[in-house]
Amino acid sequence: MKIAVVGKGGAGKTTTSAILARTLARTGHRVVALDCDTNPNLGLSLGVGLAATEALLSLRDGVGDDVEHARSWQEIIDRFGADAPDGVRLAMVSKIEDPDHGCP
Amino acid sequence: MRIAFVGKGGAGKSVIAGSFCRLLARTDDRGVVAIDSDPLPGLAISLGVPSTDTALPADLAEKIGNGPDSEWQLRGGMMGIEAIDAYAAEGPDGVRLLQFGKPRGHVRSVGPAQQGFRLIVRALAETTDLHLVGDLPGGTRQAFFGWAGFADMLVVVAEATPSSMLSARRLARLAAPGGSGQRVVAIANKAIGTPDATRLAEFSGLRVVGVVPRDREVAAAERAGVPLLDYAPGSPAVDAIRSLVDTLRRESP
Repeated sequence: MKIAVVGKGGAGKTTTSAILARTLARTGHRVVALDCDTNPNLGLSLGVGLAATEALLSLRDGVGDDVEHARSWQEIIDRFGADAPDGVRLAMVSKIEDPDHGCP
Repeated sequence: MRIAFVGKGGAGKSVIAGSFCRLLARTDDRGVVAIDSDPLPGLAISLGVPSTDTALPADLAEKIGNGPDSEWQLRGGMMGIEAIDAYAAEGPDGVRLLQFGKPRGHVRSVGPAQQGFRLIVRALAETTDLHLVGDLPGGTRQAFFGWAGFADMLVVVAEATPSSMLSARRLARLAAPGGSGQRVVAIANKAIGTPDATRLAEFSGLRVVGVVPRDREVAAAERAGVPLLDYAPGSPAVDAIRSLVDTLRRESP
């Protein structure tokens, strides 16, 4: 299944996503948790910790001009993702590092 | 003063901004424009403006010339103050609300409305002495792509939770290298005592200029869809926001 959790700020999207992801993983599903927020905090809710959440490189940076593109989504997730509890693989889609370059 | 409230979604920007605008307007006759660049209505509710879903017209701005040097201007050469008269909604205590709004139905491009909105806000900053108080959408996206350009000061609203403080730190860091001259300060919201303010200051590196306490009246007002200022005018949160008006008035250039 492919689920996108959406809603107003503060409604509880991140918490809901994290619990969904870990619950699915605990019941035997292979789960990729994608943080699509440009202010990404899903790592905190999943439980990978502050340092790992901050250190995560965004997929968007991973497919930038200077980098040879990965061949598959699997390769991208492997290269740029992080392991979260219960076997969830976390990846971050985009993160604003430098407001002077490009669009969000 | 020209300020923009920023911070993580759910930190309480709109509730604070709405009460802040009205309390500022009550003590100052210069006029207050509340600026909501979030397509979802938040500020309208916290101010107490009934219409919450009116987008600016899609043809608000027009492009002059072609190519990379082309610029935008408001349609018909409209001035900022005329645009406020035409498009802002009148709210309680004389606060006027300019909303970017959500288009009804399909529009070909939100570009002209977006350009128009930013032109109005810039014109207000450059040609009037109105107080401008912005309420930006949650997160880091809009704050650094020109939407808060009118503000002298970014006010980061944050709770003392890791995700909220992490957002505050990102906002502080992203604001730093811009050299735009914008000051960045923080407010500890939903705070349980002063240790929360201390934690926020230490984590974000920002100066915390105000503390709004955790207050069940705020949640009740939000649930009721009534502005906090009308629902619980004597609440601790309102008292704190009143102090914040005085503080930011002193802090503003």
